[in-house]
Amino acid sequence: MSQLQQVKSSHYSLCYWQIGYWQKITLSIWLIALVIIPFADIEIVSFDPFLELTRMVNGLVTPDFFATEYLLQAILQTVNFAIIGVCLGLVLGAPLALIYQNPIVSSCCAFLRAIHEIFWALLFLQVFGLSPITGILAIAIPFAATFARVFHDIINQSSDSPLESIDSRADIISRFTYGKIAQVMPQLMSYTRYRFECALRSSAVLGFIGMPTLGFYMETAFKQGNYSEGAALLIIFIALIGSIRYWCPPKLLGIYLVIACVTLVDIPNVDSNLLVRFISQDILPPALVNVATLAEIQWSSLTTWFSTILSEQAIPGAIATITLALLALAATHFITLSTHAVASKHLCPAPLTWLGRFILLIGRSVPEYILAFIFLMLLGPSMLPAVIALAIHNGCVIAYLAVKQSNTITPQQMQMTRLNQFNYHIMPTIYPNMMALMFYRFEIIVRETAVFGILGIMTLGFYIDSNFSEIRYSNALVLITCTALLNVVIDIISRRLLKFPQTSKTRC
Amino acid sequence: MIIIDNLNLHYDKTAGYNTCKKTGKKETSTQVIFDLSLTINEGEKVAIIGPSGAGKSSLLHHIYQQLQTSAALCSQRQGLVDNLSIYHNIFMGALARHHWLFNLVNLIRPFKQDLHDIAALCQQLELDQPLAKKVDQLSGGQRQRVVLARALYQQQDTFIGDEPFSALDPLMKSRLLDTVLARHKSVIMVVHDRELAITAFDRVIALDKGRLVLDSQQQSIDQQQITALYQTNAVA
Repeated sequence: MSQLQQVKSSHYSLCYWQIGYWQKITLSIWLIALVIIPFADIEIVSFDPFLELTRMVNGLVTPDFFATEYLLQAILQTVNFAIIGVCLGLVLGAPLALIYQNPIVSSCCAFLRAIHEIFWALLFLQVFGLSPITGILAIAIPFAATFARVFHDIINQSSDSPLESIDSRADIISRFTYGKIAQVMPQLMSYTRYRFECALRSSAVLGFIGMPTLGFYMETAFKQGNYSEGAALLIIFIALIGSIRYWCPPKLLGIYLVIACVTLVDIPNVDSNLLVRFISQDILPPALVNVATLAEIQWSSLTTWFSTILSEQAIPGAIATITLALLALAATHFITLSTHAVASKHLCPAPLTWLGRFILLIGRSVPEYILAFIFLMLLGPSMLPAVIALAIHNGCVIAYLAVKQSNTITPQQMQMTRLNQFNYHIMPTIYPNMMALMFYRFEIIVRETAVFGILGIMTLGFYIDSNFSEIRYSNALVLITCTALLNVVIDIISRRLLKFPQTSKTRC
Repeated sequence: MIIIDNLNLHYDKTAGYNTCKKTGKKETSTQVIFDLSLTINEGEKVAIIGPSGAGKSSLLHHIYQQLQTSAALCSQRQGLVDNLSIYHNIFMGALARHHWLFNLVNLIRPFKQDLHDIAALCQQLELDQPLAKKVDQLSGGQRQRVVLARALYQQQDTFIGDEPFSALDPLMKSRLLDTVLARHKSVIMVVHDRELAITAFDRVIALDKGRLVLDSQQQSIDQQQITALYQTNAVA
C-alpha cells in the first residue's frame, strides 16, 4: 500500500512541476525585466509630483472647452490629415499588396513601415516646412506599407475554391475581383476603418512637432500649465476617436475626402531649390559634400564620421530603446491581465465591467506619445513615464481585444464560483491569443519607444531629434535608418523565436 | 470528345482536393485511379456511379481539366463567394463572355439584361429568393441551386457535375436533371441515385476502388450487378 502511494506521489510530482510553453514565456518576460531594472533609469526626478498631479486632476474635473482659439480648425485639420493620409496610403498600398510576394517589394515595405510617422514628419519638415504635405505624407507612406502587407495577407488567406469554378477563359481582372476581392471585402473594409483610427491618433501626435493639429494645442496647454484647457482637448480627442463609427460611416468617406481637400490649410509653394539642396547636399555626410568625383572622397574621414555616429549615438540609443521596450513589455503584461480582469463579464459584476470598459476605451484612444508626455510632466524625465505610458496604451489595446474574445465564451455549466470559472476556464482559453497579441504589439512598442526620445528620454529618437535641431541631417538620416533596421531585425527575431504564423489576423 | 488511356491518379494528402498528379509518386500521396481507359464521345450523357471513395470526384476533375475550355463544372466544393449576392454569384458564370470593365461595373451596378436572364434562370431552377440576397443566408439546397445556376449560366456545350443535386428532394432532383440534360449537348455527372443514373442517362460508368468495373456501353446494365457492387463494398 505504502509502495503504491509512493509511486503515485512521485508520478504526480513529475507532472506537477512541468512548466508549460506559455508559462515559460511569461516567466522569461518577467525575468528579463527584473534583470535589466538595475540598469534602467526609472527614478522619479520631478520635484513634487503630487502638487503637479493635484493640479492636473483639478484641470480634469474642470475642463475648459472654450479656452482654445482655433479649436474647430484644429479638429478639422486633425481629421483632414488622417483622411487624406489614409486615402493616399490606400491608393499607394493596395496595388503593392498584389505584388507583395516579391522579396524586394516586401523588404522595402518593411523598411518604410519601420520608420515612425514622426520621423517621416521630421524629415519632410526640412523640405516642405509646416505645409500640409508634410503631415499627409508622414501618415501616407508608413500606412501604405502597412496596407500592402496586411491586404496581401488577407487576400492570401482567402479560399481558392471560387476561382476553380470560374471559367478559365475569363480575364484575370474579372476572376480576381469576383473570386478573391469580393470574398475578403469586409475584412479589407474593417481593417481600413481600424487604420483610420490609428491615423487620427498619428495626426494628433504630429501636432507635437508643430503641425496644426490637436496635439499642437494640447502640448502648448500642458506646457503652460493650463490643465483645464489640456483636459478639454484630451476629452474632445477621446470623444472624436470613440465616435468614429457615428460620424464617419464608410459610405460618407468619399464626401469627407472632398471636404478634407477643400478645407485643407493652404499649401505653400514648395521651394524646389530647397528640395534639390536637401537631397544633393544636406543629407550627404560631411565628407561627401562638394565632392565631384569618386576619387576625391576622403574615405578615412567618412569612416570616422560613420563610426562616431554608430558608437556615440546609434548604439547607446539602441540599447536604451531595447531596455525600455523590454521593461514596457513586462508592464504591458501586468496592465493587460489586470484591466482584462476588471472588464471581463465573467469575473466582475456588470457596473464594474462598464467602468473597466470605459478605462479600456480611454487607454486605447489616447496615443502613447501623449500619455508619455503627460507622465513626463508629472514624474520628470526618466524611463518610468515612458514605461507607464506604453504599458497603459498597449495593455488597454490587448485587453480590449481579449475582452472581446472572452465575452464570446459561454461559461461552463458547472457549480463554480466566478473566480474559479475565470481562472480555470476563461484564462486558459484566451491566454495564448493574448500573449500572441502582446508579441505582435512588441514591434509597435519598439517603434514608439524610439520616438519617445523626442520627449527627452535617451532613446534613438533623442539623438535623431537633436541632430535635426543641430541641422545635421546626414547624421539624423543614418540614425533613422538604424532605427528602422532595428525594428525590422526585432520583428524577424521575435517571429522566428516564437514561431508565430505570419498572419495578420491579430494585426493591430 | 475525350479519350483517357491508362490513367493513374494520385491524391496528394498535403495539398488540396483537386491536385491530382498523373505521375510522380510521392510518399504523401495515395493512388486513387488505377489504369483507367475510357472514351467519351460528344453528345453522350454519362453518369458515373460507385461507392464513396471509389475515385469518382478525382476522375471527374481530371476530365474537367482536359475539357476546361468547353465545359462548365458544378463542383461539390461549391466555391460560392459568401459575401456576394445570388445575382453576382450566378453572374460569375458569364465572366468570360464580357470585357473586364463590363464585369467591374456590373459588380457595382448590375446590368438589366443579365439581371433579366438570371431571374429567368432562377425561376427555372425553382429558386424563389430575391436576387440581391447574399448567399450566406441561404439554406443548403438553395446554395446548391445557385452553384448549379452558375454552371448553367456559363452556357457551355458540356456539363460536368459532381453530385449537383445531393441536397434536393427526389422530385425536384429529376426536374432539375431534365433541365440540365436539355441545356447541354454532353453531360458527365457523378450521381448518387442509381435508379436515376440508369433511367435518365444514356450511359452508366461504375467505379470501384479506383478501377472501372462497369460500362453500360459495352455491357447491358444489370441492376443486380450494380447492387452487388455497393454491397461488397459495404461488407468490406
